[in-house]
Amino acid sequence: MSAAIQVTNLGYRYHDGTEALRGVSFSVAPGECVGLLGPNGSGKSTLLLHLNGLLPEKPDVAGAVRILGQPVAPDNLETVRRQVGLVFQDPDDQLFCPSVQEDVAFGPQQLGLSEAEVRARVQRALAQAGLAGFGRRATHHLSHGEKRRACLAGVLACEPSILVLDEPTSDLDPRGRREFKALLRQITATKLIATHDLELVVELCSRAIVLDHGAVVADGPTAELLNNEELMLAHGLERPHILRHHHPHGE
Amino acid sequence: MIDDWIGHYHGRRSSPVSRLPAAFKLGLALAMIVGTVLAPPAAVGWFIGMALVLALAVALSRLPLRFLLKRLAWLSPFILSVALVNALQPAVRGSWLAVAVKSTICLLTIIVVSNTTPFSGILRVLKEAHVPGLLITTIALMHRYLFVLAEEAERMRRARASRTFTRERRARWHALSTVVGQLFVRASERAERIYDAMCARGWK
Repeated sequence: MSAAIQVTNLGYRYHDGTEALRGVSFSVAPGECVGLLGPNGSGKSTLLLHLNGLLPEKPDVAGAVRILGQPVAPDNLETVRRQVGLVFQDPDDQLFCPSVQEDVAFGPQQLGLSEAEVRARVQRALAQAGLAGFGRRATHHLSHGEKRRACLAGVLACEPSILVLDEPTSDLDPRGRREFKALLRQITATKLIATHDLELVVELCSRAIVLDHGAVVADGPTAELLNNEELMLAHGLERPHILRHHHPHGE
Repeated sequence: MIDDWIGHYHGRRSSPVSRLPAAFKLGLALAMIVGTVLAPPAAVGWFIGMALVLALAVALSRLPLRFLLKRLAWLSPFILSVALVNALQPAVRGSWLAVAVKSTICLLTIIVVSNTTPFSGILRVLKEAHVPGLLITTIALMHRYLFVLAEEAERMRRARASRTFTRERRARWHALSTVVGQLFVRASERAERIYDAMCARGWK
């Protein structure tokens, strides 16, 4: 079976000459949930944009990124975007329709589904994201947590097999964070989550990848990586509190 | 704050006017506006008729009068400037009153319709009227991001103000010009990110 995400020796340089990614290689198996860690500016967001074919601007001929065995290339971008659901960092970038239900319906409409099927998917996605009854609300009047969930609903409505999230819990209050984590746990798709929320990684991801200066510096089981204080501190991270305490009754 | 100026009326109570079909309201508004614009200044009967229709619509819409007047005041510089230009031109001096009346009727019509019809309803009518899709998308995005941009401008203005220690007018103008410039750059970068987000969900 081919990997859900296969990245081989991926490099990227921005117009201003900044080298954002250098020789990045890793693969994610179907159904896996992987945390992507790294300090600010380490290239996490840039990497995620590659998974959806939004970068590079010039078509990639080398096939450095493969989704379910298919190279991300101009002629199959549609297929790739169908399979990979990308949740952006700033909800205001993603919620571009006047009302929640229109925004959630956007993806299914682009897929060319019938009106009835679009409606069914919108209802399903809203319920899944804990936003049942929010359909008619104006997107710009939602709270930040609600906006986050509306973004998730918009992507879930496309029923992707791979879910890629860019800092999904930043700016959320503790309850919002807890609820969002619970939502993510219920989703069975393959997940790649770029985040600074180390507790989320400990709770949801079996594996973590650490990116720094555009290169993969560590890739392994979450507990092993996050318990390595030296590694964490060297790359702008820290050993999360949740791993510092002994839980005699847990596990 | 910005919502006060450009947002819909929030205490949107259900009213006989808000329950009317959007297509009917928009059609009627269009007819009223075109009729008013084309009416000769001497057609006092038409203006009085329109004023009565509007008064009835306002009463049935249950929009607070204060809200309407505030909105009208916010938009009236446009009316007043046109009327003023007319008043200064000897050839059409007599028509400044007509211009003021016409513009007030048109503006009030728009204010009443737009505050009793959800924006998505208006877009749906435009779509049904076969307005080009690209234009509808542009209008929808403009409406959506007007608020985001305005909030961003407000945040920047506040941040600027908290570090502005002079009351000198020149410094304030300078600060304002920086904010406007920054806003432009940020808006164009956001536009790129929005486009990416649209592509990610299959936009072609």
